[in-house]
Amino acid sequence: MANLKDIRIRIQSVGSTMQITNAMKMVSAAKLKKAQDAIEKMRPYAEKLTELLTGLSANIDAELGGDYAAQRDVNKVLLVPITSNRGLCGALNSNIIKQTLRLIENDYKSQDVEILTIGKKAYEYLSKKHQVVANHSEIFDDLTYDKVAKVAQSIMNDFVEKKYDKIVLIYNSFKNAATQIVKTEQFLPIKTEASESNVVLDYLYEPSQAEIVLELIPKSLKTQFYKSIRDAWASEHGARMTSMHKATDNAKEMKDELTLQYNKARQAVITGEILEIVSGAEALKG
Amino acid sequence: MKVDIVTPEGALFSGEVDSIVVPGINGSFEMLNNHAPIIAVLDNGDIRLKGQQITINDEVKDKFTTKQGEVILPINSGTVEMKNNHVIVLAE
Repeated sequence: MANLKDIRIRIQSVGSTMQITNAMKMVSAAKLKKAQDAIEKMRPYAEKLTELLTGLSANIDAELGGDYAAQRDVNKVLLVPITSNRGLCGALNSNIIKQTLRLIENDYKSQDVEILTIGKKAYEYLSKKHQVVANHSEIFDDLTYDKVAKVAQSIMNDFVEKKYDKIVLIYNSFKNAATQIVKTEQFLPIKTEASESNVVLDYLYEPSQAEIVLELIPKSLKTQFYKSIRDAWASEHGARMTSMHKATDNAKEMKDELTLQYNKARQAVITGEILEIVSGAEALKG
Repeated sequence: MKVDIVTPEGALFSGEVDSIVVPGINGSFEMLNNHAPIIAVLDNGDIRLKGQQITINDEVKDKFTTKQGEVILPINSGTVEMKNNHVIVLAE
């Protein structure tokens, strides 16, 4: 059995780890709330935009989407894995990295693959073996729509300039604090879906319908990109909260076990001492 | 008529106004009550709201300015839809 001092030191160290993980859990819970609010807040915008776009594009027969819908033979692929900047959030980031590697090794085996990472974790891992063209970890420092829109615009331009034939986003979609789902989403070219027209109102259009659609498509792409990043952001905090909660529980269990061990050792020492005293007294009597 | 101004980062304004001026891509135009249904693309410019009682949420107050009874919001780009006396501005 370990001696008393060793056990005491271990109890202390487990205790302070527990305090840290507990504090991290609290911080993540607060940040998760904010992240969820932000997702809620963008919903009216995203929904209205989609409504306008589907309503309008259903009315036009012409080839839609312009440059963003161009279906080319896929030779050059850009993968955009979105991870967090910090660790200690369970399997969240490794799931994204695994999925990215799977895509490189299976789906896009015969194509040229380039990677644009968002989040330090993906960059640190993927830049060792693969061609990472850019890293935009800084957008998580202060997550605003403007910053995200800039990144989105630059990859949209790359697509239009035929630098890439296909752009794929890989991110964690937020379901709840305990569950995040890895999503692989084709960002460009956009998939134009034939939808039934339900617009009965006769609108005035300024400029023409087709031009409005062309204006709306980049906006909708940016919104989609922004939503993915917001989702990844909420997932990070959800995952961290859950894993820190588990860590706190484990630490508590460990501390209880060590305390029991400590008490047993302490009792053994006391029993030993009493025995010594008693036998000493006996010896004096005799 | 009712006006909603929404951005990807949240709603900026929701309330009753008498008129709204928006920076259309072919020039600014004003919409009053019972304007015909319209969808228009907006350019860089100011949205001007006129009305008796325009209250703006404290959280986003610094984005608006007030001048001669008009409430002004500068935008980079956007889209406006009006139908049934309800204006929705998607602003960026």
